[in-house]
Amino acid sequence: MALDIPEPEETELNMTPMIDIVFQLIIFFLLSLKFKTIDRRIESMLPKDRGLAPTPTFPEDFLKVKIKAFRRDMKDKNKAYTLLKIDNDANVYKLPQAWKGRLKETPDRIAQYDKIMRSMKTVVQRKMREHGGNPEEVKGEIVAPAPKGGAVPHGDIIQVLNIFLELGMIDVVFEGAATPLTSRERSARAKAGK
Amino acid sequence: MARRSVIPDTEDAKMNMTPMIDMTFLLVVFFMLTIDLSSKEFYPVDLPYATQGNEDKDKVGDVKRFVINLSGDGHVYFKTYEFDLASEDPGEQDDAIQALQDSIRQVLGNDPTLIEPDGSSKVPVMIHADWGAKWKYVQWIMQACAHPDIKIYKLQFAVKRPPGMKDK
Repeated sequence: MALDIPEPEETELNMTPMIDIVFQLIIFFLLSLKFKTIDRRIESMLPKDRGLAPTPTFPEDFLKVKIKAFRRDMKDKNKAYTLLKIDNDANVYKLPQAWKGRLKETPDRIAQYDKIMRSMKTVVQRKMREHGGNPEEVKGEIVAPAPKGGAVPHGDIIQVLNIFLELGMIDVVFEGAATPLTSRERSARAKAGK
Repeated sequence: MARRSVIPDTEDAKMNMTPMIDMTFLLVVFFMLTIDLSSKEFYPVDLPYATQGNEDKDKVGDVKRFVINLSGDGHVYFKTYEFDLASEDPGEQDDAIQALQDSIRQVLGNDPTLIEPDGSSKVPVMIHADWGAKWKYVQWIMQACAHPDIKIYKLQFAVKRPPGMKDK
């Protein structure tokens, strides 16, 4: 039996809706595309045995190089600066006043900042050598004495930490700001029902 | 002067869509592959610079880290939470730290696979802080992580490589 199959006409797929959707997808991915802003990290381990308990005194029999950080002239934003001191040296290192971060600073001021860090590094290195020269046996200590030390910018502390790490001193102690309330004040506050 | 312009007959002209669609699909695939949704957990901050940072790449088997953001004005952004450490009142600052601790504990949960044999947590915390944030806020965050109920000891400081520094 012969079937009479009609000859297929020229059929065409309507592409328009598909293209619309695909363009929408492209726009979505374009807008949500954000390149990673960080590329580096410094890894560290907090001391496991201590927990929250502060270490009252740093054992004196450890070899260490201590860097103290202070914040000065904080009341005036255009004058505030960080002051750094290594051990008990008479030398103090004054970081540029009203530092606005590397992205916003002039090349001159950035060079000035880096120069201070380099000269600090030579001093730290000299001290480390005086302690025998094995960087892993000499601890770095970063002290930001309360109350004003707590206002030192994070970036300055990281720069100091970086000095220690560049010299291979991987054991670094942070010392400084306590919690806003002591545990006694906290329980007193809880009792008062605030 | 009038001129008769010759307009070609356009009635039956059809554009060939195939190459365009091919390219468009390629673009879609490219964007799908390069999209990195994890960067959404970073609050935009000016990171401090350091030459000694390692590349921010996890090794196989590393536990997914938490990111704690700290802005220059003392606001902490962790997951969907936000805390203000910059209050004038020490009591409120203390509350903010307690709240941060509670939220870390909550997000951490009780998954036994995330706990080391010595009881500490396997989860690393990245402190993604603005260079201008006060150092004491960073210390408070570290103290919150080391709290006996949380026991996160693995810390990462997010840093930027100085411009022009070559790869090691």
